[in-house]
Amino acid sequence: MKKSLFVCFILVALLASPLFAQGGGEASSPKIGFMGPMSGDYANYGVLSNNSTMLAVEQFNAKGGFGGKVPVVLVTEDSEGNVEKGLSAIEKLSSVDNIAGLVGPVFTGVSFAVGERVQSEGIVMISPSATHADITSIGDYVFRTVVSDGLQGEVAGNYFYGELGYRNIGVLYAKNDYSQGLYEGMTAAFEAAGGKVTIAESFQVGDKDFKTQLTKIRSEKPEAIYIPNYTAEMAQILEQATQLGMDIPFLSCDGFSNPEIYDLAGDFTDGVIYVGPAKVKESPAYSDFVAQYEAKFDVSPDSFATNAYDGANILLQAMDKVYKETGKFDRSAIRDAVAATKDYAGVSGTINFAENGDLVAYQGLYKVNGTTPEYLGSYTVVDGVLTQVD
Amino acid sequence: MGIAEFFQHLMNGLTLGGIYALIALGYTMVYGILKFINFAHGDILMAGAYIGLFVFDGLRGDAPLGTWTMIAFFLAMLISMGFSAILGMSIERIAYKPLRGATRLAPLLSAIGVSFILSNSAAWAFGTHSRKFNYPFDNTPVHIGDVVITPHQILILSVSLIMMIILKLFIDKTRMGKAMRATSLDQGTAMLMGINVNRVISMTFAIGSALAAVGGILIALDFKVYATMGTMTGLKAFVAAVVGGIGNISGAMFGGILLGLLETFGVAIFGIPTGLKDTIAFGVLILILLIKPEGLFGKVEKEKV
Repeated sequence: MKKSLFVCFILVALLASPLFAQGGGEASSPKIGFMGPMSGDYANYGVLSNNSTMLAVEQFNAKGGFGGKVPVVLVTEDSEGNVEKGLSAIEKLSSVDNIAGLVGPVFTGVSFAVGERVQSEGIVMISPSATHADITSIGDYVFRTVVSDGLQGEVAGNYFYGELGYRNIGVLYAKNDYSQGLYEGMTAAFEAAGGKVTIAESFQVGDKDFKTQLTKIRSEKPEAIYIPNYTAEMAQILEQATQLGMDIPFLSCDGFSNPEIYDLAGDFTDGVIYVGPAKVKESPAYSDFVAQYEAKFDVSPDSFATNAYDGANILLQAMDKVYKETGKFDRSAIRDAVAATKDYAGVSGTINFAENGDLVAYQGLYKVNGTTPEYLGSYTVVDGVLTQVD
Repeated sequence: MGIAEFFQHLMNGLTLGGIYALIALGYTMVYGILKFINFAHGDILMAGAYIGLFVFDGLRGDAPLGTWTMIAFFLAMLISMGFSAILGMSIERIAYKPLRGATRLAPLLSAIGVSFILSNSAAWAFGTHSRKFNYPFDNTPVHIGDVVITPHQILILSVSLIMMIILKLFIDKTRMGKAMRATSLDQGTAMLMGINVNRVISMTFAIGSALAAVGGILIALDFKVYATMGTMTGLKAFVAAVVGGIGNISGAMFGGILLGLLETFGVAIFGIPTGLKDTIAFGVLILILLIKPEGLFGKVEKEKV
């Protein structure tokens, strides 16, 4: 992992050297930062996303850079996925490197801490992967090119109430951030719409026997049961519900989009309606990106790396626009230009930012017929109203 | 709570308890004879479930539910029992027997080591994902009023009961059983009386492990097969054995059923949050150790059962 860090520094040095040779001509070379875990247990995430940022920078410079003459320099900092390391990294990026914008951080925890810093320093930040609902509420300098966790719960609650017509539902969730977050998000939206969660039972991850919880839920007679969990637990729940002779429809989350559920639960999946990822249209831009990425780095990009590539390009495009208009790289003007991004055709799809800096994204709705999920449509929530987009 | 909900919880609790009881028998037998807790018992259960799964799937092929699947299931269970018995005996030979003269802590630590080796090897060989063990019979629930019972639950309860009775008869009526009781009372004297103590101990491990295999397969039908399946169930069964009075066979059966009912009704009636269900078993363990350390059915007088 250290190796790629070296490669990156060398790249930085190579790109920077012609500028040093100029002996400080017109505008000094603008820098952008990347921050993510580049070493340690989580290095896989950081390295892949740093690769795509490097690729974006290289392609941008190959086209001539800002205004066709000023190349950009990328400075990569290692956070090790750790808040303290992340804070000292942003300190360096901000004061020593004087970056114009940041791609990253990769992790939610680090993003919370670094987000506070960039907000007070006035540096625009675009995270490719921090999914926690509250990340973008840090301030107006914080953006992301990944779907917020909050959206799924919101779409779920509104869809169950509005489209499926349920008024009281039960919930069976696991005691972990993922499951509990979805339960809370869905409940907030569902009850805001006018429905009621009449019973919410929980369990520990790894439990196999859910009959007690299901028996309790059954006696409350909810119209449907929401189970935002992982496949192993959901398979048990569906099977044991049948064993208890329960004839109540089940609703689920993106955890259900993993095909393993059909091996474990078989026919018990019939009729489940779940909120999953929106259908991705395989664009030529995406396959070009993957081909270039693989040719250069010998690995395939993950979805975070794809998001990082779009984030880096949006940042560079915004800087280019500001440079062309003013001849400078003013940080607040760059933020405004990022915020003004409209229908950007990225490799991960069309990108727009909501008022708060969240990616405007969609969730797909699916209904399982036998053991085959059928696509019902894609939805998003605009100002608290469920909107079908596909 | 309505009558129907009460009986539903009762049924759920009894089946859960039946499983605990079946596994607790293995702990209790080994403890009764060796004064040693075989912490690898839960992992032998897991190994038994994997063998059962592979044999059953192999024998069954694509056959639809029917007589053949029942026969295949029965054969798979027998083969798995045999395999687990051999596994249990080998573990005893390799990891416990050499430590018989050592401090009491040594075989216990060795058992924990064996437990990790077994579950990690299974994770390495078979992967960490759960595998489905298909029912060999039609598991459509039977409605009795508002209470629902599955054929699987009936199977668990009856198999546990039959196993316990057979075991009890074996120990009380056969020569081998007599030898086991003698060994349990005093190993040295038993040896002087011409009892092959090594054989008795091997036999104990063989029977305990075969019972674990039966338990593993019965659980697997409901809870799937995976590398760590024996860990939590094993611990709970151990608690059941202690509650009933470790070393006592009827006590293990009773402790298992009691624990299953407590877990179910603790949540349903006493309002313990469902997320804390697992803490009930261990809370009971602490209570029993504080109030009646010999267990509900244990004898106080002698140190050996």
